[in-house]
Amino acid sequence: MADDEAVNLIRPEFPTGRVKKIMKLDKDINKVNSEALFLVSCSTDLFLRFLAERSAEVATEKKKKTVKLDHLRTAVKRHRPTSDFLLDSLPMPAESTQAVGRSVTDRDRSRPVADKPAPTGTRRIDQFFCKPGNESPIKINDT
Amino acid sequence: MADEQYRLLPIANVVRIMKHILPPSAKISKEAKQTMQECVTEFISFVTSEASDKCHKENRKTLNGDDICWALTALGFDNYAEATVRYLHKYREAEREKASSQNKATSSQDKDDEESSEDNSRQPAHQQTDYEAPSPVLEFRVHI
Repeated sequence: MADDEAVNLIRPEFPTGRVKKIMKLDKDINKVNSEALFLVSCSTDLFLRFLAERSAEVATEKKKKTVKLDHLRTAVKRHRPTSDFLLDSLPMPAESTQAVGRSVTDRDRSRPVADKPAPTGTRRIDQFFCKPGNESPIKINDT
Repeated sequence: MADEQYRLLPIANVVRIMKHILPPSAKISKEAKQTMQECVTEFISFVTSEASDKCHKENRKTLNGDDICWALTALGFDNYAEATVRYLHKYREAEREKASSQNKATSSQDKDDEESSEDNSRQPAHQQTDYEAPSPVLEFRVHI
């Protein structure tokens, strides 16, 4: 951030109109003075830099060159105040395209249908198409 | 669908800042970029909401700079709170300077009129579609 002695130029990196719009999405907000708008922009900038830095650290730990969602998630978890408000908002691991498949839902999804046990009292449709061999075909009484 | 994007900070701005921070060779997955965009937007809402609660409790209608500083500390972001308090003081100082220099209507005392190179280094590259150039809230020169 520009912060030198000779020329004091402070310009937050985010468009103020957009910041204001986001703040005003909250119906409880009446008015926001220019100081507040400026500071929200500044602190958001700081937050972004912080989170980016921490995420990059995680990626480096894992010897990856690409910073991914999982790295971001770990970075969030490691900082308590951030985790408190943000962890629940992050997409679940199962929802990400990079899911390693550790969660329960992923496990279910990755199993082929044929492996899943059929509910009791039902027959699997593929039983109808089995060649006679191990199991006798199901007889259909037409007569 | 496009409407959704306007409830978030522009992804181009977010990515640009990330690239400042990350090592030059580092890459960011698309998902990480989008999630980061959501995270920082969430941060705005969170801090604003906290500051707003304080405002209400004190029967005030307008959110001010002190409310934001207070909210940051209350939420545990002490590291940003300190820097933000400094920004607040600088902002107020600049406002005072601006006000006093405007009052000196007839004064020809303004000696320094140096061009700053700061402006150039901050110029955003207009290459991406969803990029919004940051409109300066405050652009001023403090004469020391």
